[in-house]
Amino acid sequence: MSGPPRGNGSSSGTSVRRAVDALRRWGERRALTAVALLTALVLGLLFYYPVGTVFVDAVYAGGEWTLGPLADVLTDPFYREIFRFTAYQALLSTAASVALGLPGAWVLARFDFRGRETLRSLTILPFVMPSIMVAIGFVATFGRTGTLNAVLGALGLPEVTLLYSLPAIVVAHAFYNAPLVTRVTTAVWESVDASAVETARTLGASPRRAFRDVVLPQLLPAIAVGATLTFIFTFASFPIVLALGGYQLATVEVFIYSRVQNLAFAEAASLAVVETALSLGLTYGYLRYEARMSSSGRGARPQRRRPLWPASWTQRAAATRLAVAGYGVVVLLVFVAPVASMLLASVTGPQGGFTLDHYLFLLERQQTGTSYQVRPLTAVRNSLVFGLGTLALALPMGVVTSVLTTRDFRGRKVLDALLMAPLTVSGIVVGLGMLRGLVFGTVVFGTRIQVTGALAVVAAHAVGAYPFVTRTVAPLLGGLDPRLVESARTLGASRVRALLDIELPLVAAGVVAGAAFAFAISIGEFDSTVILAEGSSSYTMPVAVQRYLGRRLGPATAMGCVLLAVTGLSFVVIERFGGRTGGRGGF
Amino acid sequence: MRRRSFLAAAGAGGVAALAGCTGGGDGTATEGGTEAGSETGGDTGTDGTTTGTAGGEVPELVVGTYGAFVDAPSTSPGPWLKETFESEFDATLRYETPDSEVNYYIERALRNVDIPADLYVGLDVNMLIRIDENLDSGLFAPVDGLDRRDTVKESLEFDPRGRAVPYDTGYICIVYDETFGDGGFTAPETFDGLLREQYSGDLLTQNPISSATGKAFLLHTIKAKGEDGYLDYWGNLQENGVRVLEDWTTSYTAYSNGEAPMVVSYSTDQVYAHEEGEDLAKHQLRFPNGQGYANPEGMAMFEGTDRPELARTFMDFVLRPEVQAEIAVRNVQYPATTTAELPESFARYAQEPPEAVTFNYDTLRDNLSEWTSAWERQFVGN
Repeated sequence: MSGPPRGNGSSSGTSVRRAVDALRRWGERRALTAVALLTALVLGLLFYYPVGTVFVDAVYAGGEWTLGPLADVLTDPFYREIFRFTAYQALLSTAASVALGLPGAWVLARFDFRGRETLRSLTILPFVMPSIMVAIGFVATFGRTGTLNAVLGALGLPEVTLLYSLPAIVVAHAFYNAPLVTRVTTAVWESVDASAVETARTLGASPRRAFRDVVLPQLLPAIAVGATLTFIFTFASFPIVLALGGYQLATVEVFIYSRVQNLAFAEAASLAVVETALSLGLTYGYLRYEARMSSSGRGARPQRRRPLWPASWTQRAAATRLAVAGYGVVVLLVFVAPVASMLLASVTGPQGGFTLDHYLFLLERQQTGTSYQVRPLTAVRNSLVFGLGTLALALPMGVVTSVLTTRDFRGRKVLDALLMAPLTVSGIVVGLGMLRGLVFGTVVFGTRIQVTGALAVVAAHAVGAYPFVTRTVAPLLGGLDPRLVESARTLGASRVRALLDIELPLVAAGVVAGAAFAFAISIGEFDSTVILAEGSSSYTMPVAVQRYLGRRLGPATAMGCVLLAVTGLSFVVIERFGGRTGGRGGF
Repeated sequence: MRRRSFLAAAGAGGVAALAGCTGGGDGTATEGGTEAGSETGGDTGTDGTTTGTAGGEVPELVVGTYGAFVDAPSTSPGPWLKETFESEFDATLRYETPDSEVNYYIERALRNVDIPADLYVGLDVNMLIRIDENLDSGLFAPVDGLDRRDTVKESLEFDPRGRAVPYDTGYICIVYDETFGDGGFTAPETFDGLLREQYSGDLLTQNPISSATGKAFLLHTIKAKGEDGYLDYWGNLQENGVRVLEDWTTSYTAYSNGEAPMVVSYSTDQVYAHEEGEDLAKHQLRFPNGQGYANPEGMAMFEGTDRPELARTFMDFVLRPEVQAEIAVRNVQYPATTTAELPESFARYAQEPPEAVTFNYDTLRDNLSEWTSAWERQFVGN
């Protein structure tokens, strides 16, 4: 391991280097604190302050403090019913996402096949799909005349009507969130120590027993992360609910949106406060669970993967492969078909024939678009720059937060939950707060302080993204043997050096998974991008998709395909690159 | 030490980000104007607009509008308007397209932040009511002295205080697909007809709170069934499987994919379908009860503008017969004036309803929020 080189002090030429070394060691000692302060500053400025300006509406009206609006919402049976339904659909969506996501983690973590790593990288792709595209893809796949019914019809089976019902919402939520469950679980599964499993087997445990007693306990925290995040996201779901369920299945978020639209801020804020309180409570509950579950002494040797095509076809091997194949069919229908429908729509003319017109439109807009119009290449470039910026900011923020919150101190869970808050507050509320608090600015000593522009967009993306880094890194970090760090410190390594040289390489899978999430959050983010980039040229690919919607869908779907291609490629690069520098065998 | 240099770079980047943030408004300068006015005008608040252009420079007119007006992939009127206006007048035109549209300016006014725009294009009666419910000042100034003001159709006027000048209108009706199912589908001719068993699950419409077409359809049912009858009517409509989706795009996509044979949309639907070479049998129109609900769009001048003359010049320009025709074709809406010279293809494929209906400003102001919230509670509560 390479600590800072130590000069022996005899040569006069080394004094400069010694000074540099001293400075570097000083920097290393302060690095954690510095990043922690930065995190607090960015969070306060780009999250707590703006969101606070909105939440105040719930408790401050007509020049005085009041509990009226909150009480109105809490005592209204209509809203209670809305909250109940919102929780119910979120619960169903979570169950579906876990059921659909876990087999994916199993296949990716335990089988070896060509393109496995690429496939693993691409699991994050649904995460960046603009909801309008998902809605379009789902109508084309599960609609009356969609792919599913065509397949059923060809097989002589009766047709199903899935759209505009609760099941449609649940499947669409699973489309978004099952990959999340897959990713966080795969990252942990891949770092399960093979020797523990082997020990169990040597002691006479069956493979099933070894899985249940050794592997499963280690997977549970990851599954719980996936489930908690899925519940929080689907609890605040809104575009998908309306597009595929219709207004009669409206969630709380739908009502927040409609109140904001009508500038009924007190009611909107009250709904948002209750929604956030519920999500935060759940997060807090999860964090307590996570602390109990984290096991220690995880080693570094991953289990060997089985080939997808077995060497010999025993009954057991055949049954396993049949299960994988069955899962493949479900994946084709739920994930590939909607995306393929979008691809197809981007090359289909109004009469149903093949056409490249929509892509030509993108080219034409690129060449002749005016300054106030959205140009495709600028959108691609902005998305990539913001994505990289978000990575650079969110990765240290997330890692440091996970170091802090895996330490033991009073009130740690509360702090941790507060640090997770960006995940639990509705996008509409964050957007509104940013508009009022940052874009309009505040007058301080006669000068209006505003926060807008590309850097603000990156910082806002980082605020939304770093909790993912924390949540993928913290459980792994918490599971490491504390003696590893202690011995490194005894040998003279700074805390940062111990983190960089010892801990992070051991939890590389989590760090890379978190990095991919951070990038994905940045690419897919819409609300704060349009608000903070107001009036400027800082629009991104999802904004372009939104702008190109019109009477014909072609240009928007073509832009959607560009988005998928660019981000898909980026994820593969991030994970390959991350895998190399992470320095972990088999990853 | 790649990792360490990475961390150092990330740290520096973070600091730079924050420094940039507090600096304010960086990177938001667009072509032509600077945003200096909006950054420092905090203490005066009301009269500081942008473009602190010194005399002698070409004056700039800042027009706020919705995104599709300048950026729709088909043909949006914005670019043509800008080009034509600038070629004739000694002025530049700059568009602002805030995501929350007119709410953005209401919010600014509520928070005492100066408004950099001179005009807003794309105002409808519902926005006007929202403005009047939330702001004591009207946000927009009454417009007088327009040469072509009296060529605007009387029936489209929607602002009793004379701030909004209508420039185009849509008529909302039902678009249906004759080829649906085994073919030969026809939409019912009346609102009552929509309740018949045979049309069960056949109608798609939009959220009346956030979508203009959805709101127009709800208001049309109130016109038809009365204040006392519309909720019952919607109860029956819901029982017959009406689907209320978020916005026009989602519902129209579902309609295009054969999800349902009827969708609430504009009576100019065929103009676009014809241009695109689509099968017109899939774009048939039905005006329920022989009526179409009119939803005119207007333009208005911000109270604080320091270029009222230029703003009026622009409005007069928009009301010109040839400009009206061009906006109609490019925005796929009806012109607002009696003098527009429409091309033949538009006249042939766009249909005006036998009878146009709409609620006036006063009625909507007194009832709109009650009507929609009662509807919402009943429809979602079921």
